[in-house]
Amino acid sequence: MIALGALLHVKYQSRSSLEITIAVLLPVVQATLAVYLFRAGGQPDRLLEAAVGAGLMGIWSSVLFGSGGAIQNQRWQGTLEMLILAPRSPALVILPITLATALTGTYAMVATLLWGRLLYGIPLDFADPFAFAVAVPGCVLALGMFGLLLAATFVLLPNANALANPLDYPIWLVSGMLVPVTALPGWTTPIAAVLPTTWGARAVREAATGAGPVWPSLGICLAISLGCLALGAAVMSRVERRARAAATLALA
Amino acid sequence: MTSLFRLVGVGGVIAYRALFNWTTPSMFVGTLLVGPLFQLLFFAYLGRQLGVADDTFYIVGNAVLAASSAGVFGGTMAVSNERRFGTLGHVLLSPRSRTAVFLGRALPYAGNGLLIAACTLAGGALLLGLRIPPQALPGLLLVLGAAALSCGFFGLTLGAIGLRFRDVWLVSNVSVTLLLLLTGVNVPATELPAGLRAVGAVLPVTHAAEAARRLVAGDGLAAAAGPLAVEVLLALGYALLAAGLLKVFEAESRRRASLDTL
Repeated sequence: MIALGALLHVKYQSRSSLEITIAVLLPVVQATLAVYLFRAGGQPDRLLEAAVGAGLMGIWSSVLFGSGGAIQNQRWQGTLEMLILAPRSPALVILPITLATALTGTYAMVATLLWGRLLYGIPLDFADPFAFAVAVPGCVLALGMFGLLLAATFVLLPNANALANPLDYPIWLVSGMLVPVTALPGWTTPIAAVLPTTWGARAVREAATGAGPVWPSLGICLAISLGCLALGAAVMSRVERRARAAATLALA
Repeated sequence: MTSLFRLVGVGGVIAYRALFNWTTPSMFVGTLLVGPLFQLLFFAYLGRQLGVADDTFYIVGNAVLAASSAGVFGGTMAVSNERRFGTLGHVLLSPRSRTAVFLGRALPYAGNGLLIAACTLAGGALLLGLRIPPQALPGLLLVLGAAALSCGFFGLTLGAIGLRFRDVWLVSNVSVTLLLLLTGVNVPATELPAGLRAVGAVLPVTHAAEAARRLVAGDGLAAAAGPLAVEVLLALGYALLAAGLLKVFEAESRRRASLDTL
């Protein structure tokens, strides 16, 4: 059910030319910016890292805005009641949507890698191609699970968009998607350590550059995300019960 | 003349209040004040780590750029939200000059951009320890105002395109992201290819960022006057372009009866 649901929502989300163009174009511009910055910094050997980092940034943006607004979007479309009426736990119904937002985020990764290869001639010499091929879907799966927690918590907040809009840059920064975590102030380290984005980005980067062992990072990323999934499911059940009791399901 | 100023000024403010329907205080602070500050920090740390430029380069550049999202999206909303809310026909039926009506709409957004840029500059300077010479402050205010104005009219130009094309949000989203790359705010202009530099030279923010950097470096207003004048000229150019496009696309949509159908 989760796989079919995710596929359905990927198809649905891929129907919007506006969203797909933004999902592809914006990371490509970010990748171009990163390429010029890495060149300006005299580090042309790290261009693959720049392209991969920009792709990860695109995946996070897709999860942040897609998953964060997942329930609100269903509400606007008038389909939230039908989803909640389904004889399944609400978490199982919403999880495919958040997974789909992470999956559509992979358009960004594909776009930035192709852009880097075709325009800047960045060789796609992954240090461990197999690990890269596993780490990217692993990271996507993890972010999809994390997305459920976002969806569940954002629906509790009266102005969730106000929280979501400024959240892309800090997560890019703290997770070390382009800037290594070690370059940040020490107080950010504990925050980075509990974010699945940090470990996911680390696993993908390690697979691409061979900077370290991929599997422990990917394992931690998935473990934290499973925790987020459990927490998100609990919050989602509470939200559902509260909305049914107060008859506010369809109300913003 | 008084009634024209009233149309531009009061009309702009009323439209701003009506169209800025999502501006709850938390949304305003989160999106327009906190977001640009995080963007500034991201590029400052990236630039530090790569050794591209010092913090001053990023603080000043990103503070000027902070005016862009309010200006560009605001200018776009000023036109395209009329269609979204079904009021575009009423505005175009008005016997008053639509050019004045729409140009007036960009002004509150430019004011907004100025406020955001000033807050971002102050926040960035406090967080990263930049000392701005007090004598540079009046000049900086001028420069930020010019950047905000050119971003507002640039946004209005994009909004005018929205009279003809449906996906204007795509254009404005991509434009705002391109400003990150092409204006020399985050990548020093000398590191960009000539083609990209040439595009950047006709975009808002580029010259204002250069002027602001000269002022913060203590070079004085005379040194910043050149790029500041270019930024003001660009603002005027975009205002004229927006007015022209609005006229052409209005006439076109009346002729083809496509005002609300795109």
